Amino acid sequence: MGIKKILFFIFIVIAVNVGARPVSWTQGSTLMAYSNNTKNSIYYHFSPTYEFSLGLEMVEDKVFDNSYAYFRFTRLLNRKNTQNSQRNLYFRSAVSSKQWASYFFGLQGDWETRRLFAGFNVNLIESGDRDYFDQSYQIGIAPYLGEFGDLHTWIMVKTKRNSVTDEWSTFPVIRLFKGDVMLELGYNGETSWDAHFMYRF
Amino acid sequence: MKTLLLTIIFCSTQVLSHSKENTNHATHAHSADARLVDGKLEKIDSIRFDRFISDLKGHKVAIVSVKGMVCDFCARGIQKTFNKRDEIKKVDVDLNKGKVLLAFTGSATIDFEEIKKTIQSNGQTAVDMEIINI
Repeated sequence: MGIKKILFFIFIVIAVNVGARPVSWTQGSTLMAYSNNTKNSIYYHFSPTYEFSLGLEMVEDKVFDNSYAYFRFTRLLNRKNTQNSQRNLYFRSAVSSKQWASYFFGLQGDWETRRLFAGFNVNLIESGDRDYFDQSYQIGIAPYLGEFGDLHTWIMVKTKRNSVTDEWSTFPVIRLFKGDVMLELGYNGETSWDAHFMYRF
Repeated sequence: MKTLLLTIIFCSTQVLSHSKENTNHATHAHSADARLVDGKLEKIDSIRFDRFISDLKGHKVAIVSVKGMVCDFCARGIQKTFNKRDEIKKVDVDLNKGKVLLAFTGSATIDFEEIKKTIQSNGQTAVDMEIINI
């Protein structure tokens, strides 16, 4: 591995952490990196307000062996704050740089307390001459409750399916975050690694 | 993937270092418990509060009750936004109690509506505030 790759990886790991929220705080920026059996990508978004974000995602599409950029728009549709929980529902969308007929849109939702998490993500992806449906569901529990600034850990189970492979894949996931950085790692023997890094600034 | 595993190991070392830090905080706790007998402070973490005000003589502290502040990662924006303001010396977030502690200079005017807006811009909801002169 060359020095540039090592520096890039260190940047991703230290500066980019796994974050669950697709919209940041007002005027906040987020850098993410994803890697799973369908794509590798790096995604930057900016939130003019806490209710929506605009972003650019560079994608290596493993399903159709293709590379392109997504111009993304995410809107917070609904949020409910209570003393011990928060619930969110987002609309997610993107248009590909390759052709206007390539796009995706979908919904993402989550509910969490300091101890429990449940979330889902469903997307319809149109890739030129064919489309497919991608969905994932995730539940988790925090084994301990850390203070602000501590390393926080979630033990989770994720299940996902897309209509191309038409098979469910279910696997354990560990989510770690500290400060502005988050890292989420899952592994399944058939679909291999499912990784997500995020950094907010 | 090897590098990812190294990252996890790195993070684990951070957990251990924080465990040591928490032990130090605990030894600091008794004096804070003794001083904080005001009933209005029952809902805050007295150890955390005592630590927060240790260098704030002559300042005012706003204790803001916030709904929806369930994770560290989501509360980061609150700290970042308030830290940019000149009249605020220090910010702390108590996730367990759902409180944000803001240390203002003694001459500052504290406006709850402005604080509510700032917290709203992070996506949470401020519902109450108490001001304490240190």
